[in-house]
Amino acid sequence: MLGKQISCTMESGSTQFFFLIDKLRIQLLNSIEGATEKDYFQEEISPFDSGVGLQMSSGHSVTTVKSNCPASVTKFAQILKILSVIYRLVQSNSYATKRDVYYNNTQLFGSQRSVDTIVDDISCMLKVSRRALHVMATSKGLIAGDLCYLEEDGTRIDCRSSSAAVSVSSNVSGIRNIVSSAKFVMIVEKDATFQRLLNDDFCRKLSPCIMITGKGVPDVNSRLMVKKLWDTLQIPIFALVDADPHGFEIMCIYKYGSVAMSFEAHSLTVPSVMWLGLLPSDLQRLMVPKRSLLPLTRRDENKLNSLLKRPYFASQPQWQKEMELMQQSKVKAEIQSLADIAPDFLTSIYLPNKLRFGGWL
Amino acid sequence: MLQEIRQVLRLVVLMSKQGRRHGSGSTGGLLILLWDEEAGAQRLNCTVAAAGSWCSGVEIKALQLDLKGRMFPHVSPSLEPDPEDLIPFTELHGSLRLLLSFQMKDARHWPSDWQSDVEAVLQAFSLANAGIQIHLKLKFAQKTSVRDFRAKIKAKVSRADQPPLLLDVSCPEQKRWFLSKPHGWAKRASWCQGGHPVDGGRLPLGIPPQAMDGGLLGDLSVRLVTLLHPCVLQYPNMPTELKSIKVLVYNPCNIPVSGPSGFFQTLPSSMDCQHLGLRGLQCPAHKDPEFRVGTVFTTEQWENEKKCDDEEQESSHLPVQQSLLLFLLLQHRNPFCSHLSDFVAADMLIEHHLEEILCNNKPAVMAAIRTEIGNAMKAQNQRKKQQEKLNSAAEVILSSTMSIVSCSSNVDFRNACFDLMKVADTHALSSHLGESLRRVMSWRFLPVGRCYSTQMEENLLHHGSTKSEI
Repeated sequence: MLGKQISCTMESGSTQFFFLIDKLRIQLLNSIEGATEKDYFQEEISPFDSGVGLQMSSGHSVTTVKSNCPASVTKFAQILKILSVIYRLVQSNSYATKRDVYYNNTQLFGSQRSVDTIVDDISCMLKVSRRALHVMATSKGLIAGDLCYLEEDGTRIDCRSSSAAVSVSSNVSGIRNIVSSAKFVMIVEKDATFQRLLNDDFCRKLSPCIMITGKGVPDVNSRLMVKKLWDTLQIPIFALVDADPHGFEIMCIYKYGSVAMSFEAHSLTVPSVMWLGLLPSDLQRLMVPKRSLLPLTRRDENKLNSLLKRPYFASQPQWQKEMELMQQSKVKAEIQSLADIAPDFLTSIYLPNKLRFGGWL
Repeated sequence: MLQEIRQVLRLVVLMSKQGRRHGSGSTGGLLILLWDEEAGAQRLNCTVAAAGSWCSGVEIKALQLDLKGRMFPHVSPSLEPDPEDLIPFTELHGSLRLLLSFQMKDARHWPSDWQSDVEAVLQAFSLANAGIQIHLKLKFAQKTSVRDFRAKIKAKVSRADQPPLLLDVSCPEQKRWFLSKPHGWAKRASWCQGGHPVDGGRLPLGIPPQAMDGGLLGDLSVRLVTLLHPCVLQYPNMPTELKSIKVLVYNPCNIPVSGPSGFFQTLPSSMDCQHLGLRGLQCPAHKDPEFRVGTVFTTEQWENEKKCDDEEQESSHLPVQQSLLLFLLLQHRNPFCSHLSDFVAADMLIEHHLEEILCNNKPAVMAAIRTEIGNAMKAQNQRKKQQEKLNSAAEVILSSTMSIVSCSSNVDFRNACFDLMKVADTHALSSHLGESLRRVMSWRFLPVGRCYSTQMEENLLHHGSTKSEI
């Protein structure tokens, strides 16, 4: 009953519903126009810039990999092997995924992780994007909502299906002709939550919008997609993550980037990402049942302490308050805990209210 | 004749141990002069002279007449060597502490290569008594030959519960292959010219009944020390191959004893060669000087599944063939021994019953020897594994590099590659690159502080060198 009422309200007053979101969009656009080129291309690059995120400092360290040391010779061989694969790909203008590279010689590489690390190292060493190496990451992200675009090979992708999501493209930089009337993009931390929203027809109920998930820690393509949507559509990007240190960290990866990919920060980060939920303060405010709350583990506490020391909070005092609240209450909760209030609480009450009344940080 | 020389050495060592003052050194000289009074004489005379701090406790006058008579029945006070033969010795080592001359048995009954036997015994003695410079001078049949046994590099092996041991760890001439054919890129200075003894500890031995009946009492033990030549610690990637194992047994006076051949003949069958990584051990009968004292075993290695180019390996002297020297130093302690004659008797009993002593303690002794050989093989096998890893990676490195160069359509890039390697085409590039890579890998040099590199070479020439290993 409550859900239907909300739905009716949205349909009749959609302009009013998206009023704050539209206002936020104007604010964000103004902040972009005010930024000068100098902000992005400083002579002295500091490790953290609120306008870019985590970026590689100019004083980088050098690692030497020796061919005459048994401890490092295998890595040396792996690097040369991957360089030869990349060379052939670039020469023939073809592409391969990191998985393909791994299967080229599984005995040599040992694990997918070795390949991933070396490809990133080569990208950093040669100061080019991974795309330029013709090695693509296998996408694991999903996207749904008011979005149509063309892949590089001309395939038309329509994300508007209500029942199924579309895999994030493995060639995000090749995407063109993006068409969308979405008012916002929502990043969803977990696939389970994403599927739940999909099943609840979230994209139609809060249309027009786009939602995307990286299924946990996002891969590069998912991050590139979020970046592309921001660059192209210039609409607010909201993050819906669990109220725990891990969820917060995932949100920060979208917003500020990761240390591993800091050399490509400019092409991957979206500093304008807003924290929609689940906020630690929401747990108190909504009186989420205690049975749904979980105590912070030792690992959570350590991560929380580490996060609080990161440079993010200098420009995000409200985020800091939320994290300190989590630290004091010593509890965490998943988004699914909202289902203990009411089965459709998330899609019918929580998210619509948050979006309508500006409940983001 | 060897027996007399051993007796002399025993006497000098025991006397010097007994009379040694606190703080006295372990250096000095020993002269063994074999001479005939007239040309064509059948009997040779032997003069033994000792000088230096190592024999500071020797008092020849204290030598009891009966002992002299027992040990040297042909000692003649009228026998005196040519003083001119002693001058160089005294100039080098100072005034004599001991001068003993006696007539040897009839030389006609000696084996034809007796000189080599004498040299071998003195060489082995010098190994375990590196502080003493030994001079062997032979003057007979109107010919004179001189041979010096002097340790260029010494290492002190000491332990809390063990008497200190000064070993000659200099790499033997025939093992110093790196000096005869140095590689262009490996400097002569970077080779370790010595070895690094490893103390295997002390193993108590039970005295067999036969020896006890003969009067041998007290505590008997054996100390195991190993020495590997040549040292390649500074070349961690260099493959090695243990080619031979030489076992030297010393009596409590640190004098090498011959045999016990019976006991050591059973060593190959008692070794779990497969567990050690060897295909087998052989005990060949050789007449070379190296094999006159001690027991030598040659190893049989498993052949590599994949051999590198034999020519190339041969020219680079890889793998480096090493020899393991295993010292078995017998030690005896009897609180009831007080007179020199007691010590002499005990020493001679040990030598006499050595075969029985070792057989009586066979399992323990074999286990201890196996452990020492196992340690040497462990290092070799580790290098082999690393070599396999390097070779495997080298193939990938080479194929990847060649793939890039071969596929490149950039003439400048290709020419730059050819010019750098000084080749004309990709085929030559492949072989040159492969060789360079293998050289870089095998000849990786990491300086090791305890190695005897050639910045010490000048010192070696003049003063020798001593390091404390343990």
